[in-house]
Amino acid sequence: MNSHLQSRRISAVWQQGMARRRFLKLGLFGVAGVAAVAAGGFALLRRSPLDDQPVPPWATGLSAAEFHLFDRARQALLPVIGTALVHSDKVPVVQNVQRTLSYLDPVTRKELGTGLGLFDNAAVFSHGCRFVDLDDAQACEFFDRWGEGSVIQRTLATVIKQLVYSAYWQEEPTWTPVEFDGPVSDRWGLPYLGNAPMPESPSMASTVSEGDNV
Amino acid sequence: MSEVKWQASGLKVHEASDVTESHLELQADVVVVGSGAGGAVAAYELARKGKKVIVLEAGPYVPSQDFTEKFTNSLETLYQDHGGQTNSSGDLLVLQGACVGGSTVVNGCVCFRTPDFILEDWQRDFGLDELTQDELAPYFDEVEKNLSVHDNGPHEIARHGWLIRAGANKLGWSVKPLKRNIRECGLTGHCLSGCKTERKQSMLVTYLPWAVAHGAKIYADTRVERILAEGGEATGVEAVITRHDGSQAATLRVTAPRVVLAAGAVQSPILLLKSGLANRSDMVGRNFACHPSLLVAARYPEPVHPWRGALLGVYVDEFEHPDKGGFVLEDGGFGLVEMSMLAEPGSGAPFMDYMANAKYLAGLVTLIHDHNVGRIEWDGEKKKIDYQLSDMDFPSMQRAIKAAARLHLASGATEVYVPASDKRVIRNEGDIDREVGGLENLPQHLRMVSYHPQGTCRMGADPEQSVVKANGETHDVKGLYVADASLLPTSIIVNPQITVYALATRIARHMA
Repeated sequence: MNSHLQSRRISAVWQQGMARRRFLKLGLFGVAGVAAVAAGGFALLRRSPLDDQPVPPWATGLSAAEFHLFDRARQALLPVIGTALVHSDKVPVVQNVQRTLSYLDPVTRKELGTGLGLFDNAAVFSHGCRFVDLDDAQACEFFDRWGEGSVIQRTLATVIKQLVYSAYWQEEPTWTPVEFDGPVSDRWGLPYLGNAPMPESPSMASTVSEGDNV
Repeated sequence: MSEVKWQASGLKVHEASDVTESHLELQADVVVVGSGAGGAVAAYELARKGKKVIVLEAGPYVPSQDFTEKFTNSLETLYQDHGGQTNSSGDLLVLQGACVGGSTVVNGCVCFRTPDFILEDWQRDFGLDELTQDELAPYFDEVEKNLSVHDNGPHEIARHGWLIRAGANKLGWSVKPLKRNIRECGLTGHCLSGCKTERKQSMLVTYLPWAVAHGAKIYADTRVERILAEGGEATGVEAVITRHDGSQAATLRVTAPRVVLAAGAVQSPILLLKSGLANRSDMVGRNFACHPSLLVAARYPEPVHPWRGALLGVYVDEFEHPDKGGFVLEDGGFGLVEMSMLAEPGSGAPFMDYMANAKYLAGLVTLIHDHNVGRIEWDGEKKKIDYQLSDMDFPSMQRAIKAAARLHLASGATEVYVPASDKRVIRNEGDIDREVGGLENLPQHLRMVSYHPQGTCRMGADPEQSVVKANGETHDVKGLYVADASLLPTSIIVNPQITVYALATRIARHMA
């Protein structure tokens, strides 16, 4: 299915969702709520072999499907072959995503979860399998196409990518290959200046005299 | 008047961990809600005049020494909603500090006076006749002196700033060093994570310790839930003190005949709406503007290391006046996390190639004079920032992006990345109109950030069209003042901290 048709399909589901709920509460990462409603008709379109795979014990803040989605996104979005960059399996990318999502209020978190389900399952229309079962090239192409798609598509693609990117690049081992300095004040031995001295008395010009009225 | 006890470092703050009772009752002459640009200045000015002042800050107290210089960590600990505050459609990140010192702790130190043509607009359109250049100049002079505001010296202009300056000169565009409130800049480039060695003259190391020296008391972790009023007069506030694990430590009531609301342009209107006060005009929360900005990155043939040196060095004011475009461009440094958020070079290998060459990137921040089309709402459970870039402002945004692209190319860039959700790369002048002209004003197409929310409790002479008078007092509730960026009747194009400091000083002087 091409991007245009896929956009129309998703928009149609979104409209149905609006009709059902009529009211949306949008929050962090914005249109998570929009995506959530749209995703209502997409749950479990196709099984994935990954559904039977265990998730790490630390992944208590993600559903199994969410863990597999972010882990798959990590692999596809952060290729390092032929570069000096650190492999994404050497830093806690999905753990960091989980921590970021833990700051969401419960309503938004639930809605975002449903949106993630939409992203995963929508690949069934275009590729016959869920996103988590696409190969790296297909997954990147899927992201790029959604970046050019409807509001819902652009939103989900952006949210997932930015969660994964920031989760990777916040880790110190990723900095050295690109010469990023990271924290420097302690390393440079910069002295603390403390509080600024108390100011002198205000100038007459900006002092309001008694009885002034505005 | 009591003895002045200035502290050379640190700040005496009452925190949730200090609380031993389940309910606190306090009394003051003035209770100040918020400890950022407006609240800190008002607290100092009033305490200096012998008033008993209590400052309530919803965020935590994070001493400078605890700043990590790691942006992601800083977002989580120092920013509103852990750095995740967005508009309803999620394409505009609204970054505000949420800690003692507020946004002044995490801003880029850039200082501008309110442009004259903005003040003229306010006089003409909002009846703010007394807010003239001559009236405000002494306040600007004073806060600039207090906060060590100065033009960036050559050493405070980083490599990216010199590149941009050369490009602007080549184009014949006006370019100037930015003014910043900083002492002996450490050139770390970590302004947005707080200034660890206390060089940025934020409220944390200036007006708040000065206010405490004059007897003001600061309560962190204390979120005001309601402003109290009786018979049309302010009587105090009710608040909740929350531990860092989210549990409630205590409730708090401050009885005071004067309340200064300075919680910022998102939180201040919400508090008024929750309290059902000062909204006869139905203007509370309306007229939100925010200088939606973009960081336009570009790749250069030589290393730039955009994270090295002062974060912000020079700006182009060629197009500042609305008649000339209504936008400014500021050269901006950034770190890896920010860099990963702002461009879309393509997924997978193209993105990693872009990041692997991060040291070759430089950025330009675009600020536009947006119209006040947004609204802050409270639905009983959650806030809502209802703001979309208006069709009136979209051409300004496009002009700003085009100018940024031209400037980058003139500065020697080989690729300019349009900060959109789809891949748009400019390699020569001929690409500009196609790549920028093809943008659509739709949600989630541009990757916008706002550092300057403003305008939600606008000043004005007409009680039917505005929330507060020129002296900061609300039209409807005697003794209830607003002293933050929500006052501003229109967006002011430039970074607003100096405007807020000056207005807060003026308001407090009149209160005292």
